Amino acid sequence: MSGSSRRATGAPLIELSGVEKVYRMGKLDYRALRGVDLSIAAGEMVAVVGPSGSGKTTILNLISGIDRPTAGTVTVDEKRLHEMSEEELAVWRGANVGIVFQFFQLLPTLSALENAVLPLDFARRGSKRERFERARHNLQLVGLGDKLDHLPAELSGGEQQRVAIARSLAADPRLIVGDEPTGNLDSVTADEMFELLEQLNREGKTILFVTHDRELAARAQRVVTIRDGVVVAG
Amino acid sequence: MVSASLRKSITDLSRRRARTGFTVATLALAVASVSFLAIPTLIDRSMQEEVRAGKLADATVTMRPLPLSDEQLGVLEALPNVVAIEPGIRVNARVLVGERRAAALVIGVRDFARQGVDVVRLESGAYPGRGEVLTDVQNANVGVYDGRAGDTARVVGAGGLRIAGEGRNIPGGEEVQNEHLIVLYATADAIAALSGERGYDRLAIRLRDTSRAAETVERVRRYLDTVPGFAGFSRLPEFRAPGDWPGKADTEMFAEFLSVITLLALLSALVLISNTMTTLVAEQTGEIGIMRAVGARRRQIRIVYLRTAVLLGLLGALVGVALGIVLANLLASYFGSMYWAIDVGFDVDSTVLVASVAVGVLAPVLAALPAIRRGVRVDLREALESTGSAVGGQHAGDRLLRRARFLPRTMQIGLRGVGRRRRRNLATALIVALAVANLLAVLSLAAAATENSRTSWSNHLEDLRLWTSGRERFDARALRTIETTAGVARAQPALVSDAELAGEEASVWGVPRQPLFRYRLSDGRWFNAAEERAQERVAVIERNLAQFTGVDLGDRVTLTTVAGPAQFRIIGMATNQQEDGTVLYVPLTTLRSVLDQPTGVSTYWVKTTSPDEALIDRTTTLLDDRLTALGYDVATEISYVMERDEIQENRTLTTTIAVLGFLIVAMSMVGLANAITMSIIERTREIGILRCIGARARDVRRIFETEGVTLALAGWLLGLPLGYALTRMLVWLIWEIAGVRLPVVFPLWNLWIALAGTLALALLVLLLPLRRAVRFRPGDALRYA
Repeated sequence: MSGSSRRATGAPLIELSGVEKVYRMGKLDYRALRGVDLSIAAGEMVAVVGPSGSGKTTILNLISGIDRPTAGTVTVDEKRLHEMSEEELAVWRGANVGIVFQFFQLLPTLSALENAVLPLDFARRGSKRERFERARHNLQLVGLGDKLDHLPAELSGGEQQRVAIARSLAADPRLIVGDEPTGNLDSVTADEMFELLEQLNREGKTILFVTHDRELAARAQRVVTIRDGVVVAG
Repeated sequence: MVSASLRKSITDLSRRRARTGFTVATLALAVASVSFLAIPTLIDRSMQEEVRAGKLADATVTMRPLPLSDEQLGVLEALPNVVAIEPGIRVNARVLVGERRAAALVIGVRDFARQGVDVVRLESGAYPGRGEVLTDVQNANVGVYDGRAGDTARVVGAGGLRIAGEGRNIPGGEEVQNEHLIVLYATADAIAALSGERGYDRLAIRLRDTSRAAETVERVRRYLDTVPGFAGFSRLPEFRAPGDWPGKADTEMFAEFLSVITLLALLSALVLISNTMTTLVAEQTGEIGIMRAVGARRRQIRIVYLRTAVLLGLLGALVGVALGIVLANLLASYFGSMYWAIDVGFDVDSTVLVASVAVGVLAPVLAALPAIRRGVRVDLREALESTGSAVGGQHAGDRLLRRARFLPRTMQIGLRGVGRRRRRNLATALIVALAVANLLAVLSLAAAATENSRTSWSNHLEDLRLWTSGRERFDARALRTIETTAGVARAQPALVSDAELAGEEASVWGVPRQPLFRYRLSDGRWFNAAEERAQERVAVIERNLAQFTGVDLGDRVTLTTVAGPAQFRIIGMATNQQEDGTVLYVPLTTLRSVLDQPTGVSTYWVKTTSPDEALIDRTTTLLDDRLTALGYDVATEISYVMERDEIQENRTLTTTIAVLGFLIVAMSMVGLANAITMSIIERTREIGILRCIGARARDVRRIFETEGVTLALAGWLLGLPLGYALTRMLVWLIWEIAGVRLPVVFPLWNLWIALAGTLALALLVLLLPLRRAVRFRPGDALRYA
């Protein structure tokens, strides 16, 4: 349990102010967030917890520019995300945020290495050789150096999630967000995965993850609790 | 109250509106194409009306102009089985259109007010009096002459004739349509003044009982034999079968080609619907699992999806039938006005209507059966754990696609996407292939028809032909005149007569041993000098006619000629296709003896001193003037003009087929758009993920563009052999249906035209689904289930 030992330093990396999010579901409006103020410092490892439908994933989506707030402002690394276009957000995400999903979300026709290099290809960063070097390095970091050419279908759940983490590291982002990153893994694999995230946090990455698992949440430096679209603790 | 399973069938369609829309549109197009089969019926109904109003002849006999008094005509009309007899005369003329001389036919009518057969009906103005003519409505319709009532027709040799009005006549209109002649109507007296020809050269007869037509015509002949000056019929009598009208056989033939297009359209629709149902069932594997888990039997699940297929069919049939009725009426109206200048009234062919509905409802059910069978057999546990599109990429084909590492990553993803839904993508490629095949076949057919015309005309060594159908045959004086005309290098006589061989229409060409014509023998030999001298009854038969009639080399055949039956020995088989391959070549001397015409010929083939078109035109005009001045009723044919006209006519026909064939291309593109849309819908989450890891709009666009273009390319590749096979099939069909032997031409450049067309259309139809793909917000895309 060494992951939580490192403390955050410096100015806030993420700043949510008066954020509201309303989803239109058919003829009904669903208020997912009702005025959230949240500040996360660079280098922090933050767990977002709360019951189903409380707005955890919505917060993560707003911070990673996947969704836009209905009201309020979202600032990440001094970028005002709510003012950016979809295209600008896509480019920004590719360069600044690594995202890890519960169901891995790898492209089935691409090998582990190709999946891991994809964000660099989109960002057109470095030469082709450099991109592959970087992706290979990331896969070795997550312990998959011997399965570079395997397709997702040829990997176990844990291995697929490792590829997803390697992919999230592709552009060497300051921020990694995980939506239930261990939710679809057995406890042993989930523990391994979490250790990997802790290690990344130790190396200076800001980690923000949503979880239902109280044990995992407890391993974060800070736990933000959401209920009915409002931050009630943290 | 709607049952839950029926509601599911309905909501399965409504929840994927775009896909349902595409499928219904495709099915509707296919059902609409069935309506092509109604076109001949719609035209036939209007033409039957025309036949009744125009009192079309049941039998027509032609002869050299023969004066007949009203009394004599009265005797003929009183013959048993005769309802009415209408005498007429046709003379060749030239009409000045601008400064150009255009070939014309002036049809003489005994009395416009008392027409009993082949009536010339007044469309506008008044019937012509002295110094006046009536212009056929088809002249303007076909575009050979646009003179209207009140204008003056400038007839060479007769000066200006006032156009009294516009008339409509079925046989006259046919001459405009088929021969591109300007047809004018005048009184028989006016004809006599115009050409010096007195009397009548044809009798149009309406009969009580058409089954006794030959017997009645024989009675007419026997009576005419008693009339001084009658020298027998100049052509074989023409009999019209009950319900027949000029161009009916061509219309039915055209409809048979359309049925090929209908068949292809249906095939495309079946593949597409099968594709849709496969996707629908596959993406609902989880739901099938749930239904099974809550106690649904396989039969019940099958019914849910069969109902969906029936609903699709009903929607498609409904739209298709409505579209088909409009389409069939529009096309029938277009053909009616183009070929016969008639208004085809709005009508519905009930047989075709029933067939359309049946096809519309049954086709989707049949197409859905394999997908439903597969769907309901899936293992319950697997169904419940269905992971959708998260697997793939492990087949041999995928490994091959993974080798294309030199491509940009986005293109690689798109390329590999093709391997993910193998069955569906193969079906999509097949739909595109059918369109490509159809396009290639039509293009090849056009090229084949052009090549056929070129080959056929290249066998003609003469530059122009002179014909006479008047009382005066071409004789020694005519030959001298022709040979001494400036520009003429050589003139050769020929005798052309129609005949019948084993019930088939044929043409006998009496020609010199070394004709101004290139014969191409596939078997046997040409006739020799001894046979020519001895007037031997030997004939070289064209291969097509030989095949229709089962005649072989060495056979002795009986030919029905205007002078009666005559026996010939077949000594050669020619591959030429003059008169659609129905010609028998015999020595000129022989035909003279058979027809009992020791002197005079009907035709001269003329070679000019140079192939220069201006010289040929000048020479033709000169010959025309000189022979007309001597009293011959001359018609001219210029080879290069005829060749050009024939090629143009072929083009019109193939363009029409191509336009209708475009339906299949449209369907294939709907299919492609459908496949890509489905692919995008299914992979909405994937698009979200791509956007999450930094993919820009152009990256997403390129992925799906690559997928669509790859499918189109695969379709093009598959379409090449299919196109070749279809070309061969159409060539065979044309031979079987129309008796025209076309070469199988498959020009290489057509493949590139098809490729360019396929790619351009593919990129065009991809525009909409791609717009949809890049408009997804990552958050919405990730929430998409």
